[in-house]
Amino acid sequence: MQFFGGSDTISPSPPIPTGLANNGNMMYVFNRNGICLIYKEWNRSLRTLSSQQDHKLMFGLLFSLKSFTTKMDPSNVEKGNLGVPQLPGQGCSFHSFRTNTYKLSFMESPSGIKIILVTSPKAGDLRESLKYIYNLYVEYVVKNPLYTPGTPIRSELFNTNLDQYVKNLA
Amino acid sequence: MGKEVSESCVDSMIIEMVSAYSNRFYANKAELAARRIEAIGYQVGLQLSERYTMERPRFSDHLEAIKFICKDFWSELFKKQIDNLKTNHKGTFVLQDKRFRWLTRMSIEPTPANADLSQDPSVSAVENKATQSASMHLYFPCGIIRGALSNLGIPCAVSADISEFPACKLLDTKPL
Repeated sequence: MQFFGGSDTISPSPPIPTGLANNGNMMYVFNRNGICLIYKEWNRSLRTLSSQQDHKLMFGLLFSLKSFTTKMDPSNVEKGNLGVPQLPGQGCSFHSFRTNTYKLSFMESPSGIKIILVTSPKAGDLRESLKYIYNLYVEYVVKNPLYTPGTPIRSELFNTNLDQYVKNLA
Repeated sequence: MGKEVSESCVDSMIIEMVSAYSNRFYANKAELAARRIEAIGYQVGLQLSERYTMERPRFSDHLEAIKFICKDFWSELFKKQIDNLKTNHKGTFVLQDKRFRWLTRMSIEPTPANADLSQDPSVSAVENKATQSASMHLYFPCGIIRGALSNLGIPCAVSADISEFPACKLLDTKPL
């Protein structure tokens, strides 16, 4: 029975700069087994599914997108058959997709940690931010002596630094 | 001079050592695990103090040796010096490090926001467990200091106190 850490309550946000009003602003971190390590939301207007279904949907979506973009890659020499699952360390060519109301950015580390950031559609290329968030994860979660890998993250240091960074980003 | 090792490797190894001794070798016997970890620290302290006092003359008195620990020894180990040194002139010294390097990344779980009064015992139990595992990690540096001082000719006992995170106080008492 998995239980998902992170907070579901919307924290009081600072005066919203232009471009972020009415838009979802969330972050998910998954590990290679699909366990949601942390889910944070700073500004989410609509919730349609229970959080467990939401996480499964997100993980499944990105798993398929990743696999699809790799198979469709015209410059890739060796292509497996469609449907063959990808190994975690093989790199990811898929970065982000954008719709009318939001932009979803994605990054996967060689160890299979997937970081997903949902922002307003006007956001630029967030790859550097995702790398920075991964760095925060390494510093405050992986190097935390009290953390067991594979469990949801409950670390105050990580939470505060992350909140600070994302607020400055917005 | 010498080869270099990445700091993350050393940090991870120390973390794993503490967790192996507390959770695997001596599970449920916290006292024994703590003693083992401190003994390992003692050996490390002995050898490190040999290495770092190679070219120095002998220390004239206990205060000089303690000052060496606070300044040179601590900067070799943790890249900074001890922030505060207090003594009661009767053999007890308190070394305070406001930002102890091995504790900077340690983070206790945030207490649940809606814990009502009936759940108080469980909340404090969680906090106690967290502080207990945090204090397990302090036996190693205590052992290092004890080893270093005993190699310099000062037998003593060292204990640690983490009341404010991530500052930590090390209390060093000389047996009279």
